[in-house]
Amino acid sequence: MISRLLNRALFVVVPFLGLLLSACSRAEREVRQSTLDPKGPVAQMQYDVFMDTVYLVLVLFAVVGGLLVYAVIRYRARPGDDTAPKLEEGHGNPLVEIGLITASIASLVFIAIPTLSAIWYTDDVPAEAVPTSKLSAWYSRVDANGKENYAKAVEDQVLEVDVIGKQWWFRFEYPQLGLTSDAKHSVPNELYIPRGKAVRINLRSEDVIHSFWLPKIAGKVDLMPGRKNHMWIQADQLGHYYGQCAEFCGDSHAYMLFRCQVVEPEEFAKWVQAQKAEAAPVAVGTKAEKGKALFAAKTCAMCHNISGHYGAGNFGPDLTHVASRKSLAGAWLDNRDTKAQLALELQEKNTEASTPVDAAKLKANLIKWIGSSGTSHADNGAATKDVKPGNRMHYYKMFNVVSLNESKQQFTAEELDCLAEYLLTLK
Amino acid sequence: MSHDTHHAPVASKLDLAPERSDLGLIRPDRKTGWADWLTTVDHKKIGVMYGAFAMLFFLVGGVEALAIRTQLARPDNDFVTARMYNQLFTMHGTTMIFLGVMPLSAAFFNFLVPLQIGARDVAFPRLNAFSLWTFVAGAFVLNSSWLFEFGHLAGWFNNFEWHKALVYSDFAPANGWFSYAPLSGTVGQADAALHAPRFTGVGTDFWIIGIQILGIASLAASFNFICTIINMRAKGMTMMRLPVFTWMTLVTSVLIILAFPAITVALIELMFDRQFGANFFNPSAGGQPILWQHLFWIFGHPEVYILVLPAMGIVSEILPTFSGKALFGYPIIVFSGAVIGFLGFAVWSHHMFTTGLGPVPTAAFALLTMAIAVPTGVKIFNWLGTIWGGKIRFTPPMVLALGFIWMFMCGGFSGVMHSAAPADAQQQDSYFVIAHFHYVLLGGVLLGLMAGLYFWFPKIFGRMPNAGVAYLASGLVILGFNLAFGPMHYLGLAGQPRRTHTYHAGNGWETWNFVATIGAFILGIGVFLAFANLVWTAFKGKKCGSDPWGGRTLEWSLSSPVAEYNFAQSPVISARDAFFEDKHGGRRIAYENDGGEAGVHMPSQSWMPLVAGFGFLMIGLGMPMLSMGVPHMGWLVIAGLTVMFIGIWLWALEGPGGYMLKTPAGNSSPVPQAAVTH
Repeated sequence: MISRLLNRALFVVVPFLGLLLSACSRAEREVRQSTLDPKGPVAQMQYDVFMDTVYLVLVLFAVVGGLLVYAVIRYRARPGDDTAPKLEEGHGNPLVEIGLITASIASLVFIAIPTLSAIWYTDDVPAEAVPTSKLSAWYSRVDANGKENYAKAVEDQVLEVDVIGKQWWFRFEYPQLGLTSDAKHSVPNELYIPRGKAVRINLRSEDVIHSFWLPKIAGKVDLMPGRKNHMWIQADQLGHYYGQCAEFCGDSHAYMLFRCQVVEPEEFAKWVQAQKAEAAPVAVGTKAEKGKALFAAKTCAMCHNISGHYGAGNFGPDLTHVASRKSLAGAWLDNRDTKAQLALELQEKNTEASTPVDAAKLKANLIKWIGSSGTSHADNGAATKDVKPGNRMHYYKMFNVVSLNESKQQFTAEELDCLAEYLLTLK
Repeated sequence: MSHDTHHAPVASKLDLAPERSDLGLIRPDRKTGWADWLTTVDHKKIGVMYGAFAMLFFLVGGVEALAIRTQLARPDNDFVTARMYNQLFTMHGTTMIFLGVMPLSAAFFNFLVPLQIGARDVAFPRLNAFSLWTFVAGAFVLNSSWLFEFGHLAGWFNNFEWHKALVYSDFAPANGWFSYAPLSGTVGQADAALHAPRFTGVGTDFWIIGIQILGIASLAASFNFICTIINMRAKGMTMMRLPVFTWMTLVTSVLIILAFPAITVALIELMFDRQFGANFFNPSAGGQPILWQHLFWIFGHPEVYILVLPAMGIVSEILPTFSGKALFGYPIIVFSGAVIGFLGFAVWSHHMFTTGLGPVPTAAFALLTMAIAVPTGVKIFNWLGTIWGGKIRFTPPMVLALGFIWMFMCGGFSGVMHSAAPADAQQQDSYFVIAHFHYVLLGGVLLGLMAGLYFWFPKIFGRMPNAGVAYLASGLVILGFNLAFGPMHYLGLAGQPRRTHTYHAGNGWETWNFVATIGAFILGIGVFLAFANLVWTAFKGKKCGSDPWGGRTLEWSLSSPVAEYNFAQSPVISARDAFFEDKHGGRRIAYENDGGEAGVHMPSQSWMPLVAGFGFLMIGLGMPMLSMGVPHMGWLVIAGLTVMFIGIWLWALEGPGGYMLKTPAGNSSPVPQAAVTH
């Protein structure tokens, strides 16, 4: 009897407990990818529709669930009950049936209307957002030196970002601003957008299906190879946001993360300038100089672009500014003091300058990451654990290039140190 | 009483004289031992074997699930590698759907449908055996991928040339149960040998051929059940007097026949992509990955209803029995089941809301998805109406059936949430979805099937499962299940994506993942206990009478276990719950004057379904090994095709066979014609 009552109680309590707890939770910001803490109009709209469904479901849950519990308790067989079987056929009651069907349909209309309006709202940049979001409204076309930031032809367009998915990282390009891989200025894994401005996102994939999901800013849209998908986003609060690939894309799917830095429009302009800068020359006689030579000798330069140093690579992430990035290896490895960053996030002070890259951590990450792509890395010859199993720094067989002798991909600890020192100069 | 025939079959050796086909092949006629089980065409034995295999694979899939949960218990865990995790969730999903729920439903179809409609077997008994053995072959092919994977990890193949030549060394599939192209397919241009570069290795080939073989088994079984239900009903058993479970079997069978061709075509295309550079889904050659999704989900969504409708049928039988009332709104329940089946084909793209369909299709599929909630809700209302005003007896099947309603209702609610496409943009591929469909498929379907097992087990084996253990197991299942999957609603909303083998600390997901893992283990213990109770009961349980629950449908009129011929005399029905009403006063069942001394015609056993099934096993193992590059495997495939064709050919030549079996004479009475037309 007790276990029975316990079962009944569990039926009621547990399923939506998590949901209720989260809705009441005071510190939703602690949850970096929470969909319940929208920071832009798209996520807000999706959240509002979600809450409509929650209200509807809670009412239905109370009514239907309540009736079920009531019926189970009220109509339980008791000792001494009249047990004579009832022989009538169960035809049901037409009035009850029709009434319930009508009520069901009516309750669905309650969520159908916001659903429909939100489908169109989230599909593309709404016309009312264009006047304040078009490039000319917030980004001067010509910089202090008289150089064009963007062509006149695009001044009435909103900012566009091409998101290109690859196993297992994202490449971000800003075609209107000249930050593209063709122009040798693409941005891996860390998206920058201006605060309060609508941004159109074009989604592409170069291999399998990925999905662009930045929960606090917008729900996901897939990156389909062979198709051009699009979405729009807008972030109304400064900050460092966390996103993740949401479509299973192979071995290291869990390691395909990305970041989004929301900055003031003026900051954004400065950041674009910085991205267009070429890498500074490396000081002679340093470890970094050795590392630069190794970068070619170990065939890194075949895939990675470093503007000003090596310009042949296009397959892997652009490393021109690798030392300024907050994360590494598809945003899986964090280059900052994580606790400090989280504390700032909680106070909503996580602006661009708030937590700089920790050089020591970055170097350790670089060694860990590059080291895991060879076969003998540590001094004792023991292979370190794969940072990203299946990544393309591993699988040269993919390219079917005979000249890529695997022995070249082995690093000594000293080589790793030099390479890391070189990459650290790429601010 | 004519409906309580406890006598043993009166069969003489003469009656069972083995037949010879035109080729002189002797038909097997053993009624005991392994030869009987391998050659049987008895729907009850086939049903029991389906059930045994399904429970075995439930345990396999459950172990995979527990490995998944163990990996996710802590952030940055390395209990399994990324690839092993991907293989685990792929095989967990595939196993639970195709080797767990579907065959367990098939076990009920097989065992119950002929009994419920007053027939002596299914329409095509040998085809039924063929479905079983083909299912076993497909299940073995799928799971043999694990043997290769573990062999590879143990280094057994390292000295073989073919192993050294492999670019991808994954042997168990790691594409997810949905196997989206192009991850499961090809990329770039095919070489001279028509092989295009792929993203995955032979695991995918095991998956493709395994699902293909399982599809053949399901299609054959479905045609069989449709023919059986349409043609072999007892006199007076009009469609609107069919037990609801039989109705849901019919709807499910129709769904299988309409849905599986889509996946069959998709699998053939994917296979051609991989083996012959066909480029159906290869984007770099102009193929369309989205085509796979449409083909997969127009199968995959009806598949959800293929899984859930049998459980709904089971619950619709249990609730009236233990409420002491007829099913409330029988016509509406039947009709809503059919509407669900129909609408099930109109909502597939709600699995694809994030693929960039555009606003108009998204809106259309959102509205259709909301619409399908109506017939589903109608079922819940009618179940509520059934227990309303009744006298509820909390037997183990009833507790599980009520659990089904509650969990299914919760799963339905989160389903309605998904139908709002903009909200779904946040929920798609997150743990919220995992919570949703486990509430439907585990809290719903598995509880429903367990309820069915506990309900009909006394009929199948004539023994009553231990109620105390059953209550305990049910309690553990319900507690563990809610603890495991309730928090996942929250985890999904907190942004945890599914199919990720690990996650960083600091995302706020740690606590509830740990709780979910604890819940999963409680659930695992509960399911194991429930199954162990049943297995023990089958051999050692307390014997019980033929109608221990006060049943309503025809199967309860038969002895437990049911005699080989089912009905000594064919029943003639004059009401919906004929047996129940007949038992309690009004005469609703008459018996036709067949059987008795004249005997009833029984189908002969055959080896041929097993032979044909074995051919599928050879093909299913040969094809992936051919892809691996193992020498001479092409010949294994050809040999498999030959065995399969020989099996089917001899099956055709040996003829239907059959023999006369004497049954106990009944007090056969003239059929009350007036009552039949009702």
